[in-house]
Amino acid sequence: MDFELGPAGEAAMRLVFTGAPQPALTRALLKIENQANQRFGSTLTDSVIGYTTLTLFFSASALERDRTEAWLREQAEAIALDDSDPEHSAADVVLPVLYHPSVAPDLEWLADDRSLSIDDVIALHSDATYFAYATGFAPGFCYLGTLPAALRTPRLDTPRAKVPAGAVAIADAQTAVYPCESPGGWRLIGACPEPLFNLGNTPPTRLSVGATVRFEPINEADFRALGGVIA
Amino acid sequence: MNNLQIHKAGIASSVQDSGRVGTLSIGIPPSGAMDRPALMSGQHQLGHQHDEAAIEMAYADFAATLTEAHDVVVTGAPVQLRINQQACRSEGVHHIEAGQTLEVKATHEGIYSYLHLSGGIMTTPQLDSRSTSPREGIGGLDGGFLKDGDIVPLGASDKAVGAADPQLTIKNPTTVLELRFVAGFQFDDFADEAIKGLLAEEFTVTAKANRMGVTLNGEGLHSGIAALYSEATCYGAIQVPPDGNPIILLNDRQTVGGYPKPGAVISSDCLRLAQSRPGQRVRFAVCSPEEADRIGWLEQHYLETRLRDRP
Repeated sequence: MDFELGPAGEAAMRLVFTGAPQPALTRALLKIENQANQRFGSTLTDSVIGYTTLTLFFSASALERDRTEAWLREQAEAIALDDSDPEHSAADVVLPVLYHPSVAPDLEWLADDRSLSIDDVIALHSDATYFAYATGFAPGFCYLGTLPAALRTPRLDTPRAKVPAGAVAIADAQTAVYPCESPGGWRLIGACPEPLFNLGNTPPTRLSVGATVRFEPINEADFRALGGVIA
Repeated sequence: MNNLQIHKAGIASSVQDSGRVGTLSIGIPPSGAMDRPALMSGQHQLGHQHDEAAIEMAYADFAATLTEAHDVVVTGAPVQLRINQQACRSEGVHHIEAGQTLEVKATHEGIYSYLHLSGGIMTTPQLDSRSTSPREGIGGLDGGFLKDGDIVPLGASDKAVGAADPQLTIKNPTTVLELRFVAGFQFDDFADEAIKGLLAEEFTVTAKANRMGVTLNGEGLHSGIAALYSEATCYGAIQVPPDGNPIILLNDRQTVGGYPKPGAVISSDCLRLAQSRPGQRVRFAVCSPEEADRIGWLEQHYLETRLRDRP
């Protein structure tokens, strides 16, 4: 796979695979991240995986760019792609979701727009297994793909000022759960009563890059029993 | 109980230490003092050795009463200081008795000032730091900016006052601030005109400036780059949204982003930018990655030795 290496500002390096995002590419990035953790230990202070990138942050005095770049080049050249399709494998995480207009302001709109019934939308969203490509935007927010083509929709022209914690959202070919209340421009089609971010847990995030995720439709009683709140 | 009772918090005051390390991968920014040398200066003047947090005040307009006697020092952007309604010099360590009131007011220069109190601030650390990340609701006092009426817990004040007066005030040039940056990310994909503009033009710091980043105004940089896949940002990243006005990302930045970036400003110049008021003129200049690493390391080394070597 083609790749590029370069700086990401002071004391940081960036590896980008130049292909389109795919699970095999993400798994390669995870593998290199793992190797980097072993190779550099505590001098590697942080690392972030994006859709096609791995960014490594070093402590200010510790980065030897030439040697690090040579090492990263070796790893990227040697990486073997794991092509197994996560969308046909068992999900690592199953998240319960109430799909109902009372918690999902865009559900009826989406069904109308696609000439589908609400049950069709629910079946399409919850039959698929998704792959976690990247985290960020907010603590515990995880970009999941790939959304079935029939559900793909652009973001709202004007983002909502407040999206509640637990909102299950879609945008383009992605889906996600908002872990905490925040502004947001994705369309909201459900609500998940389980927290996705809790500082008391190790790790604090429920989802991490490389995980496979499925959504399980639940009814209102189960939603409330699991701690869900309907405004 | 040793407390700081806040009467007037000002527009954006928060508890900050030197910030978090290693939380980018779970989507949490480092946060921490926007002017790290100022934070370190105050810590050393009070003999603090455990990265004790300070109250960071943007355009300080702050008043509070202490329930017990403490030594205090204010660092960073220059301020007017009043203790029990009496004006006093703003530099150096002051002893404040229980029940006395402290008022801190910004002057004409800089943005962020730091109030340090002996004994340190005793809010509960989260992810190994007391720094406030307001968007995420983490750290500080209840995860947010300080409000009028807040009560901030303090540690017991010992008498171990440290070195005298290493005021590490960042002096901004009055004319044009140079922002040295390491080219990278999408630099090679930017339209030639945009790179020419970035290197040749002068930009101005706008009022859209806060702990997340500083928006600059210029002729407009049009990258010609369509949508990108979200990827890691970094301290100093030059983010260019479709309107062409670059945003330099700082301590409370989002950890990932999808806007094109031609590079990242070095940390030394980010500190100066953070303390620059709207209207400050800035210019960009390319800096090699090796040079950036060297300056970053030298500055850290300088700060630490200069502070440590004092009596």
